[in-house]
Amino acid sequence: MNRGRARPKMDTEATAAEADVPELDLVRQAQAGDTEAFDQLVSRFRTRVFGMIYNMVHNEQDAWDLAQDSFLKAWKSIARFRGQSSFYTWMYRIVMNVTIDALRKKQVKGSGAEFNDEVQLKEIEPASRTVPHGDALPHERIEQKEIRGRIDAAIAQLSPEHRAVILMKEIEDMQYHEIAESLGCSIGTVMSRLFYARKKLQNLLRDVYENV
Amino acid sequence: MKTFEEKWTAWIDGELSDAERAEFEASLEDRAAAEAEKDQAHKLGAFLKEQLQPRAMGNEEFFHHQLRERMAAETNEPAQSRPSQTRESWWTIRRLLWTGATSLALFAICTFFVMREQPEPEPSQYLTQILNARVDSNVSPNATVSIFQTKQDRVTVLWVDGLKSLPSDYAAK
Repeated sequence: MNRGRARPKMDTEATAAEADVPELDLVRQAQAGDTEAFDQLVSRFRTRVFGMIYNMVHNEQDAWDLAQDSFLKAWKSIARFRGQSSFYTWMYRIVMNVTIDALRKKQVKGSGAEFNDEVQLKEIEPASRTVPHGDALPHERIEQKEIRGRIDAAIAQLSPEHRAVILMKEIEDMQYHEIAESLGCSIGTVMSRLFYARKKLQNLLRDVYENV
Repeated sequence: MKTFEEKWTAWIDGELSDAERAEFEASLEDRAAAEAEKDQAHKLGAFLKEQLQPRAMGNEEFFHHQLRERMAAETNEPAQSRPSQTRESWWTIRRLLWTGATSLALFAICTFFVMREQPEPEPSQYLTQILNARVDSNVSPNATVSIFQTKQDRVTVLWVDGLKSLPSDYAAK
């Protein structure tokens, strides 16, 4: 399996001077209790972390709170970071744990109607026979907000684990092994989840992405 | 052994080696449909990537400020609670066992010494009077006096046989 593919350079929000400091140095300083160094790490990852969580929970306030919880948890346990993976992957593991836990709790409180990962295979027609739905709105009339609403609604039907996998793969361009590390599961599980998540989203969003 | 789902995903993402890809593609019943499905998966990926760009976080300064406050609170809190945590962690199972065994041994030793040094219980006042009472052998040559005492029931029985009269100086006080 080809794992050598380079991931696009990660965008960070640090200033040029801050960006000069290697990530591992900042981690070492943070491990020694340097809050300023940790603050720089937060600056580098906050938008990606917040964006990832937002795509999982679809609520700005929840995303804010969960991003806070994730960074706080990272600060409390940074001494245990051994550098066996990148800080980015380690951080994502925390983010995923916090977010998936929150979604699970929400599911328990809610109706439980969400997270139906069952793919109704009979509904998924081979692409060769797929045509845009006749009643779909023309792309000129589909507002960005509506598109986003459709995507959010489709993702909301995935389980937290399936959401995490598809977002990490498609949005974050993470490799299978990085996703597996972040979620604490096997590469095979990641690939299997990706299969079902894609099928489900194709089924739910085909009319949208075919028309946009 | 990879499952079909794993192979399919790796095929979509171009993660199969040449040999694996050739083998997988040969196993597909409808290659054209599969290729179209692959194309759909790529379209979905591109669509999600385009639409789900990282959302800008509003008020970033406040985010940092809030986080720093919480970090400071967390840093101070463990410092205050550290002694109790240390105390809790000191009691390992082994230490608990040793402490328990040592306590039992000390208890046994103390009990032994206390029991050994305990004085003989004093006879009751009643018994003392009886024992001190002298039976006049001239008056009652065949007199016998027996005492039965059950301490647990707090009963003392004086069995007197052959006495013509009780000693004059005997009286239960």
